[in-house]
Amino acid sequence: MRSTLRNVVRYLAILVGAFVLALPLLFMVSGSLKSATEINTFPPRLLPATPIWQNFADAWTYLTAGVIANSFVFALGIVGLQLIISLPAAFALAKIPFKWTAAVMASLIVPMFIPGNLTLIPLFIVTFQLGWLNSFAGLIIPMAAQCAFAVLLFRQFFASLPGGLIEAARIDGASWGRVLWSIGIPLSRPALATFCSVSFLTAWNMYIWPQVVAPDPEHRVLNVALAPLAGGENSLIPPSVGLAGAVIAMVPVLIVFIVFQKWYIKGVAGTGLE
Amino acid sequence: MTTSSTTPRAAVSRGSRAGRSSGRRRTTRVDTVTATAFLTPAMIGFILFVIIPALGGLALSFFEWDLFSPPRFVGLDNVVRLFTDPDMWQALGVTGLFVVMGVIPTVVIGFLLAVLINARLPGVSVLRVFYFAPMIASAAVASVIWAALYDPRYGLVNQVLSWFGVDGPAWLSDTTWARPALVIMMIWGALPIVIILYLGGLQRVSDDIYAAASLDGAGAWRQLWSMTWPNVWPTTLLVTVLQAVGFVSGSFEVSLIMTNGGPLGTTQSLALYAYKVAFSDRDIGYASALSLFQLVLMGAIVVLVRALIRIRKASSR
Repeated sequence: MRSTLRNVVRYLAILVGAFVLALPLLFMVSGSLKSATEINTFPPRLLPATPIWQNFADAWTYLTAGVIANSFVFALGIVGLQLIISLPAAFALAKIPFKWTAAVMASLIVPMFIPGNLTLIPLFIVTFQLGWLNSFAGLIIPMAAQCAFAVLLFRQFFASLPGGLIEAARIDGASWGRVLWSIGIPLSRPALATFCSVSFLTAWNMYIWPQVVAPDPEHRVLNVALAPLAGGENSLIPPSVGLAGAVIAMVPVLIVFIVFQKWYIKGVAGTGLE
Repeated sequence: MTTSSTTPRAAVSRGSRAGRSSGRRRTTRVDTVTATAFLTPAMIGFILFVIIPALGGLALSFFEWDLFSPPRFVGLDNVVRLFTDPDMWQALGVTGLFVVMGVIPTVVIGFLLAVLINARLPGVSVLRVFYFAPMIASAAVASVIWAALYDPRYGLVNQVLSWFGVDGPAWLSDTTWARPALVIMMIWGALPIVIILYLGGLQRVSDDIYAAASLDGAGAWRQLWSMTWPNVWPTTLLVTVLQAVGFVSGSFEVSLIMTNGGPLGTTQSLALYAYKVAFSDRDIGYASALSLFQLVLMGAIVVLVRALIRIRKASSR
């Protein structure tokens, strides 16, 4: 009897916590459908009397289809390039006998402890010297090269594959490339799910790098276009339009997060522990 | 960073062990050639965009450079300037306040929420999604939402305050309130990862100790503080370091978008100051020195936490 009461109280507490943490996001969704005057009525209504879909049309004129396409090119470019360079590297470190394995591992791990914002300026300079400002190469390649997380994640996974299977394939005359392609990659689906979700969300949500490297209209990504809508009181753009823009920016992330939740959270927890 | 300081070593030894186990057969030339080929693309990218910027940042601290004219070696001038620059001292103070105001509430609230949702009750796993959701909002998305929430006349925050007869400030343009406003927003964004790491830590705490404590008649709160909290201590240290680093370096996107460091520099952290020196003043050398100074500060935090661990270990013995 007492434990039932305790469970009820706990449920209530969990519900309140969920509501408080999700409140800003609920506010975003409901605010994006309200008129400029209704967003200010008090007490606030969860759902507007009549949803104002015009907010989304207005937000679309600031964000534009081109900007959204840029965001997809940027995020998917980083995910794809990181896969191409880190899968073979990780496989070599895990399974191929090599004199320098330990040295390569050490050189990958040590710089992981330097927060990205501290190398922003020199990384910008390298990109600038390469003549890559305002280009997709400049947006994607320097970020894809930050691949230590990917290499270590896949290496750990490949290392856990049974050695006998790979030995057998090698004795049958399969090349290392063939072993990676036909055994390593097909067996590493959980690691792929973790990597792709973490990498995509990280890239999609990047703000400072695209802002610094490619602010021009042809290469502008969503977050760069969205940030000026956080104008607050001095902005000429109504908050409801900004919130509609935020909803548009959240849709892809939300889909990836919900579909890949299990793997994503495992990956994020791993990053923290690495 | 308890685990992080040991992980590299552990990972390296694991790596070489894996190398040895598959190397029962002797390493052949094919192995060496293939391994080199497999590693080359990643290593080229890594050297060009990780190693060179890291070393270059260090070197640039000793130069004066505006990106276009040839860089000029100035020795320790940038370092001297660092310590005599009032803007740097203000930014350092702001960074310190961000850390102090942000880290402790994030860790404590994150711990309590993790304990709360670490329940084997039906439906809780679905509700957990709401606890993790703030994590997927980018700095720009979060800024749009919170700028609307903090709007002085119509924002939800001031509307709720007016309910209680409180006349809320113009949060983001008030020298007293801009900083706490940003800190609250950053705590909201930081809680999910803290909760996730604590959930991992809680799973490693054995159920037996609670059974024993219940038999001894310890109440729920007493169990929480004298059993759960000490048992997740390694997670607490890790989370504290991660969040300290997060509030030092990660806070700057938010302040850049929301307040641009204002009003009167009250939300201008070191990272944002370095960003402005680099990209508005184009003073690359001094900006590099500022970044380097931050790295030293963060190293100091890690050393401090490790010292704390040692003291704790010594006292528990």
